[in-house]
Amino acid sequence: MKHSEYVAPDGSWIRPEIFSDPALYELEKQRVFGRSWLLLGHLSQLPRAGSFLRTYMGEESVLVTRDRIGRIHAHLNACRHRGYQVCQEDRGTAQRFQCRYHGWTYDSDGSLATVPGEESIYYQEIDKRQWGLVPVARVETYKGLIFGNFDPDSPALEAFLGDMAWYLDIILDRREGGTELLGPQRWRIASNWKVVAENHCGDEYHIGFAHGSVFPRDLGSNRATPLPFAREVRPGLGHGVGVNIFPDEMAPQNYLRLGPDFPPHVEKYSLGVQDEIVRRLGSQRARMALIHGAVWPNFGMVPIVNSLRVIQPRGIGEVEMWSYCVVDRDAPPDVKAWISGQSARTFGPAGSFEQDDAGNWTAVTRSSSGTEARKQRLNLQMGAGHEERSDRMPGELGLTASEINQRGFYLRWMHDMFDGASA
Amino acid sequence: MNGENFTRLLQVQQWLYHEARLLDSRRFDLWLDLLDEGIRYRVPSRSYIRQGHVKDFSTWSVDRELEADDALALIDDDLSALRTRIERLQSGMAWAESPPSMARRLVSNVMITAIDANGRMSVVSTLFLAKVRGDQRVLFTAERRDRIVPAGESFRLQERYVVLDDVVLASENLSLLF
Repeated sequence: MKHSEYVAPDGSWIRPEIFSDPALYELEKQRVFGRSWLLLGHLSQLPRAGSFLRTYMGEESVLVTRDRIGRIHAHLNACRHRGYQVCQEDRGTAQRFQCRYHGWTYDSDGSLATVPGEESIYYQEIDKRQWGLVPVARVETYKGLIFGNFDPDSPALEAFLGDMAWYLDIILDRREGGTELLGPQRWRIASNWKVVAENHCGDEYHIGFAHGSVFPRDLGSNRATPLPFAREVRPGLGHGVGVNIFPDEMAPQNYLRLGPDFPPHVEKYSLGVQDEIVRRLGSQRARMALIHGAVWPNFGMVPIVNSLRVIQPRGIGEVEMWSYCVVDRDAPPDVKAWISGQSARTFGPAGSFEQDDAGNWTAVTRSSSGTEARKQRLNLQMGAGHEERSDRMPGELGLTASEINQRGFYLRWMHDMFDGASA
Repeated sequence: MNGENFTRLLQVQQWLYHEARLLDSRRFDLWLDLLDEGIRYRVPSRSYIRQGHVKDFSTWSVDRELEADDALALIDDDLSALRTRIERLQSGMAWAESPPSMARRLVSNVMITAIDANGRMSVVSTLFLAKVRGDQRVLFTAERRDRIVPAGESFRLQERYVVLDDVVLASENLSLLF
């Protein structure tokens, strides 16, 4: 199949072949995961010198560290001698990382510190400065979030985020003290990564049906149901977000909550920080709540319940979900505890919503392997040609449910995969 | 073990088997009746956290891992949240369990580790849960740390803390209770 057959020129259809062709996945590892800014974690996870966390960029194991003088680094988690992973834990604090195979040892800045037998069997000829851990080419932060990029020629992180940053601020820049991440929860789903990512990026259509068990049970008691105010917004560059835009005449206590009413201590906190949020974000953004979204390619989010997640690809037909709860750093512990508990009750593997998502994604992935099914077009036309602009916010707008963001997602995929290549 | 302790252990074991059977057979309303109104039901997520003081992994501590202050539980429910969980399963639109998975719980290694003057017991048990749905089978193993309190002729569950052995869950969801 020619690559121009994978996705319609306007994004209004795709072919499931893109979820099942192993050759495309190999190309994605180079052209998507090898060139994009990928979420590694949050500065709050590296609070002190020697703090570390282990994560993935695509399928590469990556070690993220804070060194002795406080700088953040990301390196391939592979010894330069035989490639064994030098870090076996998920997070913690360490002065040194020692390979278990032959004992080469690295400092928290990635430099090679000691080599057993350096004098006796290497004749003092090994140049340790040349054999530090391989650094990830670019590491930058945005409002506490740490991103890495393997491509030394990539645009800066803020240019990559583009107008999506304006929306991310609604989550990340509410308070002077910023945010912190709790988690992650991790679980595996037999789905192609794009099926999961496009759902986060733009699918409000499925909420009422796929999550029919939750509506109206968890949301019906809500004094402000979210969807009447929702718009899909395409900030561009493959990112997408669903936004609740609350009317000016609506009081904060009527739109702050989703799901069960806040207990008094959470309501008090949420109302108490409203003035600070208005000061920092302006009165327009203070009246917006992000429902769902995704930063290209695999950083998904459900901010309405404080959930941020990385959709880690594990081969063409499997993902490992890494789901975090984002909370205001300066919120009281009992507020953080309620928010993280409520986040887990709705999203995450045991969440009332998310329990039912995985089955959809595995089914889509499974049908994409059929030799006939994979060639057929899948419809993504909802709202095509009806995009709008607003002077209140950047990006293009669709209705409450619109596939504007899935189209943007797959057009970005085509761009990264094939622009400059011949058909 | 004296006769009184032995009898109590047997009673607790039988109660845990009864509870497991209610869950296996999806009699969720009867299961809710076994819960104390102040119940806290938690399933923490697991991680490998480097423990700086540990020289030797034979002294590595699960409890220290679970005390991490950046942890995000998989489940942290009170009675109201558990009721909501059950109502959702009974809604007819909980697709992850519609059609239902086949589940079988084996409860073993039951020990009463503490008992206070009011008869409130700390009970640990090992759970093996097999979940089969369609052509997929998922196996869970866990240690359950329960607080079980006397209630008339029977018991109520006041606290359950489920330490799963999965670091990355092999299951696409947690649609069942442990």
